[in-house]
Amino acid sequence: MRYEFNWGLLWREPYFDWIVEGILTTFHLALLAWILALCLGIVIGVLRVTNSRLLRAIGTTYVEVFRNIPLIVQLFLWLYVVPQMLPREFSFWWNRLDNVPYWTAMIGISFYTSARLAEQIRSALRAIPPGQFKAGLSTGLTQVQVYRYVIVPYALRIIIPALTSEFLTVFKNTALALTIGVIEITATTRRIEAWSFRGIEAYTVASLTYIATTILVILFMSWLERRYQIPGLIKRGEARV
Amino acid sequence: MDWQVIIANFPLLMSGLVKSLQLTVVSVLFSFPLGCLIAIGRLSHRRWLSGASTAFVNVLRSNPLILILFWFYFLVPLITGRNVNDLTSIIVAFIVFFAAYFAEIVRSGIQSVGVRQIQAGLSSMRHIVLPQAIRAMLPALITQCIVVFQGTTVVYVIGYSELLHTAASIAERTVRPVELYVTVAAIYFIVCYSASRIARHFEKGAA
Amino acid sequence: MSQPIIRVESVGLRFDSFVALDDVSLSVNAGQCIVICGPSGSGKSTLLRCINGLERFQKGDVWVDGVSVSGCQDLPKLRRGVGMVFQHFELYPHMTVLENVTLAPIKAKGLSRKQAEDLAFHYLDRVGIVDQAQKHPGRLSGGQQQRAAIARALALEPKAMLFDEPTSALDPEMIAEVLYVMRDLARGGMTMLVVTHEMGFAREVADEVVFMDRGRIVEHATVDEFFSTPRAERTREFLNKILLKL
Repeated sequence: MRYEFNWGLLWREPYFDWIVEGILTTFHLALLAWILALCLGIVIGVLRVTNSRLLRAIGTTYVEVFRNIPLIVQLFLWLYVVPQMLPREFSFWWNRLDNVPYWTAMIGISFYTSARLAEQIRSALRAIPPGQFKAGLSTGLTQVQVYRYVIVPYALRIIIPALTSEFLTVFKNTALALTIGVIEITATTRRIEAWSFRGIEAYTVASLTYIATTILVILFMSWLERRYQIPGLIKRGEARV
Repeated sequence: MDWQVIIANFPLLMSGLVKSLQLTVVSVLFSFPLGCLIAIGRLSHRRWLSGASTAFVNVLRSNPLILILFWFYFLVPLITGRNVNDLTSIIVAFIVFFAAYFAEIVRSGIQSVGVRQIQAGLSSMRHIVLPQAIRAMLPALITQCIVVFQGTTVVYVIGYSELLHTAASIAERTVRPVELYVTVAAIYFIVCYSASRIARHFEKGAA
Repeated sequence: MSQPIIRVESVGLRFDSFVALDDVSLSVNAGQCIVICGPSGSGKSTLLRCINGLERFQKGDVWVDGVSVSGCQDLPKLRRGVGMVFQHFELYPHMTVLENVTLAPIKAKGLSRKQAEDLAFHYLDRVGIVDQAQKHPGRLSGGQQQRAAIARALALEPKAMLFDEPTSALDPEMIAEVLYVMRDLARGGMTMLVVTHEMGFAREVADEVVFMDRGRIVEHATVDEFFSTPRAERTREFLNKILLKL
């Protein structure tokens, strides 16, 4: 293998600016998508444990649909199909937005991830013994108080490892946004490679970004988990990549 | 809407689906055994072996598949020193990438059976531990096959004509993106949903 | 005599076609300890849940200290007056024992943290685990957990206590410590309604014993009568089964 390295290239313009821009895009896309996914996921997860058969069916359908279509295909649907289904005024407004691919990617990744999160939330809610609710009520707490002080804090603690791995999945999935034209870090390094034929240097930047972020997130979440773990109840689950 | 375009291009779409499935099968056939070896390496007493296996798994699992694909697309010709076709690079990337995921599944499967049994010797590993472990991890393995199948859409960016790329080029040619992407989504859904039902069946059988 | 603390009158409850409670009537006077026994599915636990409004019944009514449960506008307040102890403890695993005991006094009763903690320490001492106050439930033995759960119920200073099979999830060596606490409570004058199969406890502590089967009260007698001359065939069968097993 003959390859002359030129690491200095990365510090030169315009590449350096591109890299910074790409990393930032990856980060805020991942964060926004994850927050939206968490909100959607909580709603769907709760739907899946309600007593109403109709609501459960809605939740199940949602999860199966968004889980069983590959993310890239979903991104294409959001980009090419959905705007055509919506009222003309809306798609007019939508298409005049500044960064349509970015918002499309955010929505697409959120919906895809929310289906996975809903499953995690459902199993966390299932893992809480129903007696906890009765015990709270029996001491004179109101339903809202039982949720606020007992059920939700309990569920959040159970779900921390799952949230960690789902966040890392979202983070990696943002790379797929390049298929609809979002220039995040992977697309950036691909572009640098195309311009300079320096593939190894360019891809190293992207890979190190992902690896370093993964390590930081895992360290942070395992600290969080240790801090909030329920002693004697759950063995600390290893945060998974 | 004009679904005529789907009927006219149905054979083409099906040949795309066959290529997606072929890529899935080849990737699984090679990355699963590789994953088994890496899993055994991770549980080894030899520091360097378990360290290297762990590093391999963690590095690959923290990178997106699409980036790994770019890496191999660039590296394979460079290392072999000649022009190889796209498919070779794609297959190598898929095998290496998914081997890391299979390794994790196999490792937790083996650990669920018990590490002590493994340390009893390699022959017991093959005859007692692995069969038990494979039964325990069958649902996870099928789920992982679905992930591989969904992952094949990523090679769209390189232009290999699997199902998604086939659909995209028909969409471009006929200017009928709505019909094509809806159809493709339905095809992926049918395949993945059926496979996930099978996985759930084994999950229930094991419980 | 003054009015009973708990008065259950012709309560009926059915789930679809299954009759959980059928015309059940029962009174518990102040300072009385009544033991309810019977085969599983006979409605014992359901009856307890009806008393503090955790379960809705369709017929009859329950009065707790003169307040009707079916017409109650403030169920949380009514429930504060009735402590409940569960088979599986149901302590909140993410809180320390002290936090478990003080949660409801602070949030439901509006006590200050200081007041609630003083109260908690008093009752934790009474059940003999004041030294475990800062630990989480998962770090305690089953017997200690159940005693903590009793302290949690007592900290609301209820007028009566309901025990729903408090020892049936415990290992044999821990049953005694929980029964000891309950005996101590009964001797201290607490009004108690106890669902249990511990016939030794019933014989020694209870004033009256109730035998339930298929949602009905089959037999209701004083302890002596119940054990020496059970009238109903079903009770005799059940007693033989239980006593043989021990």
